[in-house]
Amino acid sequence: MILVGELSLWIALLMGLWAVTLSFAGGWLRREDLIVSGERGLFAATGFVVLASLGLWTALLTSDFSLRYVASFTSANLPIVYKFSAFWGGQAGSMLFWCLVLAVYGALATWTNRSKNRALMPWVTGTNALVLLFFVAATAIAANPFERLEWVPPDGRGLNPQLQNPAMAIHPPLLYFGYVATAIPFAFAVGALVTRRLDAEWLGAVRKWSLISWVFLTVGILLGMWWAYVELGWGGYWMWDPVENASLLPWLTGTAFLHSIMIQEKRGMLRKWNVTLVVATFLLSIFGTFITRSGIIASVHSFAQSDIGAWFATFLVLVFAASVWLVSIRLKDLESKAELEAMISREAAFLYNNLVLVGIAFSVLWGTLFPILSEWIRGTKITVGESFFNTVNVPLGLLLLALTGIGPLIAWRRASVANIQRQFAGPAFVGVVAAAALWTLGARELYPLMAWGLGAFVAGTIVQEFYKGVGARMRMHGEHVALALVRLVSRNRRRYGGYIVHAGIVMLFSAFAGMAFKAEHDVTLTDGQVFTTKDPYGREWTFTSEGISAFKALNRDVVAIALRPESEGRSFPVLTSEKRQHFDSRGNPTFQPSTEVGILSLGRQDVYLVLAGTIGDRAEVRINFTPLVMWVWNGGILMALGGLIVMWPQSERKRQGGYVTELAPQHAEAAGV
Amino acid sequence: MVDRREFLVGLGGLTAALLARELGGQQQGNFAPMDQNAYRPVLRPAKPNATPQLTVDARDALEKELKCQCTCVLDVYTCRTTDFTCGVSPAMHRDVLRLVDGGYTAEEIKAAFVETYGEVALTAPVKQGFNWAGYFVPSIVMATGGVVLTMMLRRWTQQAAATAVPAGSGAAPSAVAASDVEMARLQRALRDDGDDD
Repeated sequence: MILVGELSLWIALLMGLWAVTLSFAGGWLRREDLIVSGERGLFAATGFVVLASLGLWTALLTSDFSLRYVASFTSANLPIVYKFSAFWGGQAGSMLFWCLVLAVYGALATWTNRSKNRALMPWVTGTNALVLLFFVAATAIAANPFERLEWVPPDGRGLNPQLQNPAMAIHPPLLYFGYVATAIPFAFAVGALVTRRLDAEWLGAVRKWSLISWVFLTVGILLGMWWAYVELGWGGYWMWDPVENASLLPWLTGTAFLHSIMIQEKRGMLRKWNVTLVVATFLLSIFGTFITRSGIIASVHSFAQSDIGAWFATFLVLVFAASVWLVSIRLKDLESKAELEAMISREAAFLYNNLVLVGIAFSVLWGTLFPILSEWIRGTKITVGESFFNTVNVPLGLLLLALTGIGPLIAWRRASVANIQRQFAGPAFVGVVAAAALWTLGARELYPLMAWGLGAFVAGTIVQEFYKGVGARMRMHGEHVALALVRLVSRNRRRYGGYIVHAGIVMLFSAFAGMAFKAEHDVTLTDGQVFTTKDPYGREWTFTSEGISAFKALNRDVVAIALRPESEGRSFPVLTSEKRQHFDSRGNPTFQPSTEVGILSLGRQDVYLVLAGTIGDRAEVRINFTPLVMWVWNGGILMALGGLIVMWPQSERKRQGGYVTELAPQHAEAAGV
Repeated sequence: MVDRREFLVGLGGLTAALLARELGGQQQGNFAPMDQNAYRPVLRPAKPNATPQLTVDARDALEKELKCQCTCVLDVYTCRTTDFTCGVSPAMHRDVLRLVDGGYTAEEIKAAFVETYGEVALTAPVKQGFNWAGYFVPSIVMATGGVVLTMMLRRWTQQAAATAVPAGSGAAPSAVAASDVEMARLQRALRDDGDDD
């Protein structure tokens, strides 16, 4: 199977070449036989990439240490789930994983469009196959996971202990699902540009794939945050690491696109801008991959410096140049009738939302690349860390939060004073009251106060929309509140799914603001000793040491500390934190010791315990109180749920909004549509 | 005489050494190895009659402005109290302690670290010279974008006003050019809560 896998990778390369050549030739010559052959070539390439992947999984699961990759990232005693996930644990394997996802996506896009978008499809298939061809070639030539060692070691090096975490087993593939999905809208954009079919035809397919990408990126990024929080032990979930930033960039431009596409769908405007966002999102995905794999920027997450960086740099430049050229020769075709009835309208709000999202993306990109610029221009290495990114992005984030509430409530085309008063009076009141209440309770820091005040405002807009919608259904159809809610959401998935995403955003921003009140304590405790302190809410806590224990687990030696937390007469489950030294199947230590933190998650805050080390019966520990961490994860779940609702297919019969708003916007507005 | 256990342990060690050499070029997952040799001593003689100028909180705040040099992106305070396997941040912390005990202020300590490591010792660029570009370019781009967008929107609204049907020139602007069938669909749609974003 391993040999089959290795051969399959090379055959996939040939099939990819076939698919590219035949698809483009078929599109150019308008010959259906060539187009069909190109599509079959892509399906065949997909099949061979799947075979290659099965070959690598076989090698990993059977511990075939004759492969350098298997010996580098697994050991005989590694739990089977991590042998499986080691597929994407290293450079070469994760490259093959990219190929796998890309091939399956490409095949799906071709298959689902077998009877529609036919004029576009040769170019879509050809572009997908071209991207796949690049990845398969880079994998086969520069980072081949089937490379063999000159001798077969009896055991492998094992997987980095910090990657032996359930979140890390699923976070990278989800991110890859998101990154790779940006290739499909890009392919459709290329198809639309080449064929000059730049009306709404291509947007339908593009929107679905953009949503798929957005949902996977959202979940992938949040799982990465969760992994950093529970595994790295520094008590936070986002450190503005270049690789983290790289995942955020396509998410930001993708989010901008999902908003601006609505304007093109409803008004036929922003054709150039939407094509630009699709191309930028794909380029940023490739850029993120380049950063992660080239070693050009120091990051705890990056792969070591390797030749593959040159491959990606070349690909990035070529795709950028080709995209700029293609857009520039189609500028006339991309012209659209740009008319706007009023500055105060949903179109304008969405455009400002786009400006802020793209502005944040630019500032993140700028901050990530600024150390390189500094080194090129001044010859001086600098660090751009958390304080820089927070200085630049927090005000923009607050502006975005405000627009999250404003945009969806302003009427399309023209908002009247009455509309604004009716829609915003209640939520604005809620926001002001919330901020005043928090001020009274002692919250004095400006940014957190603004975040919570604006969060309450946005939450008010969302609740108001659901209240109005459910109330209308109850009155008009005589439905029970629960049924009315379900039908309201199921018949207006885009609108109410979007609101649910916005509710998740509010929770995230509230949690980010909570980080400003994080409290940290470094403590030394002996068996039975008690540490007393106050949390950020002013409540008293005691932590009683239950002592240090040492034991052996599956593939590691463990030293653990246990603390019994109590607060105002209430006992909580014992918190434990561990120092782990992993070893291989012969008992030899592998990697540096790692730390497992203890977390007590409560709705209002997390209590976070880290064992620094032990000297005799004394344990050095760190205890953090971090407000609202739980809101990050719950907010993430809401965002994913909202995204899925938006994404869920809806029959044409039930989709009536465009008709309503096109025919009688004033009626639609009156009905609160 | 070597017993079986000693032999196996020795064999294991030899294998591990050979494997480490063989796989030396292969990186470890998506984790860059910490550079434990990055530490360089930051030594200054204590000031005469030195007394610490910083409280513990002020010292911790200062360490949050100094970057650990072990390839991680953490500051010295967070790194030394987090990973605990990094040898660089504890060594940098000891230098900070010595300088604090030597009577140096936070600014003097930061300057000493910059002198030894360069500007990369700080977690954010010093606000001077070219580094201002780092701080201001995003704001300038945003402001320019805002102005351009506002001008575009104004132009679009003016165009819309210019092409609007003048009052009294015919049908009312709000009139709907729809057939009876379409109007019936519209009524149905309004009743059923149309899908809108």
